[in-house]
Amino acid sequence: MRAFLLACLAIVIIGAGGYFFVNSMQEPSGVAYSTEGARITTSWAWRSTGIKEPVTAREECEIRKPWGWIFVDFGKPRGESAVCRISQ
Amino acid sequence: MAMVSTRIRLVAAAIAFLVLATVATPVTAQQINPTADAVKEQQLLAQFKRIEGLGTIPDTKSYTIEQPQGRQWREYQEVALPWIGTIAMLGMIALLLVFFLVRGMIRIKAGRSGVNIVRFTGFERFIHWMTATCFILMALTGLNITFGKLALLPLIGPSAFSTWSLAAKYAHNFLSFPFVLGVIVIFCMWLAGNIPNQVDVAWFKQGGGIVGGDDPPAYRFNGGQKMVYWLVVLAGTIVAVSGYLLMFPFYGTTIVGMQLAQMVHGTVAVLFVAAMIAHAYIGTIGMEGAFEAMGEGTVDLNWANQHHRLWLEEEQARVGPANLERQPSATPAE
Repeated sequence: MRAFLLACLAIVIIGAGGYFFVNSMQEPSGVAYSTEGARITTSWAWRSTGIKEPVTAREECEIRKPWGWIFVDFGKPRGESAVCRISQ
Repeated sequence: MAMVSTRIRLVAAAIAFLVLATVATPVTAQQINPTADAVKEQQLLAQFKRIEGLGTIPDTKSYTIEQPQGRQWREYQEVALPWIGTIAMLGMIALLLVFFLVRGMIRIKAGRSGVNIVRFTGFERFIHWMTATCFILMALTGLNITFGKLALLPLIGPSAFSTWSLAAKYAHNFLSFPFVLGVIVIFCMWLAGNIPNQVDVAWFKQGGGIVGGDDPPAYRFNGGQKMVYWLVVLAGTIVAVSGYLLMFPFYGTTIVGMQLAQMVHGTVAVLFVAAMIAHAYIGTIGMEGAFEAMGEGTVDLNWANQHHRLWLEEEQARVGPANLERQPSATPAE
């Protein structure tokens, strides 16, 4: 019985130690998956400034001219898929 | 004449409607425009097998919403794993019940001698119970993930189930640390006594004293106990590694890797639980005097002679028969 009680005590102590150890390593998901900027993905940044990058089959959004970036939130892009509008 | 004209118009309208309906029906089988407003999730999945979007956060993994492996994983988690677990655990319980009804408790044939000898030290029992207690709690909280939604949710309702599941998830995670520590210490502590040898082969051939009337000789750990030892070490390692991959997402794994880890974790865990049910059975109601070894740390001399004759001879040679007999027959403090 004494061995069992000591085992239970050890479980609590080691488990609590694990709790603090993991907490020291992890960030809350609200912090880990948040971003201060609204457009910080590299693909977006390159595309917005008009520097061409290889367009994948998955992402066939219009690559804008440098002068066109100011209109990025206005109007309906011609021939672009709807998902491109969502990203803007 | 006007009535005839009206009827003709009605028939023509009906034919036109049917033609339109016939033309419109094959639309689903045609090329799907994924950005069409009316496109359905199932249509997208049927054609592209995965649904992805664009995001504004750096974590590009979050852009994948659905993918084929995810649906396979969900099918396994929701259907196959509960079946595997149910068959393994209920099957084991049924088997043990039948065995108990047929064989009954394995008795000490010569009766109790009244002389006890030390079987396990206090430290060994401490480690055993630490690991076992963690295992039981982790089994209950882990099975909640597989069976809770099916068995518990209808009984206690969504609110209580949600609270319990959250607590169970935390308990499962943090109990893993003492459990893994226990498995590591068990591996090191009992390795020397659990190397398989010829005595184990003979032990198995004679049914281990469980099937049949023979009492084959064994050292400190018999063939069955060695099986349990290696099962704990190997299955414990597998569930630990796969569990920590899930506990620390994307540390060296991808979504697919974690899905695989979860499938391995769940499958090995339910089989592990089934095997430990048998271990608990033979250590309690299955064999007279067995629980005392881990409960009090001592066993009766006749029990040791019946089940671990070679170990008893070693102990007698090591400390002498007279010293063995001076062991207390009961340890009230424990």
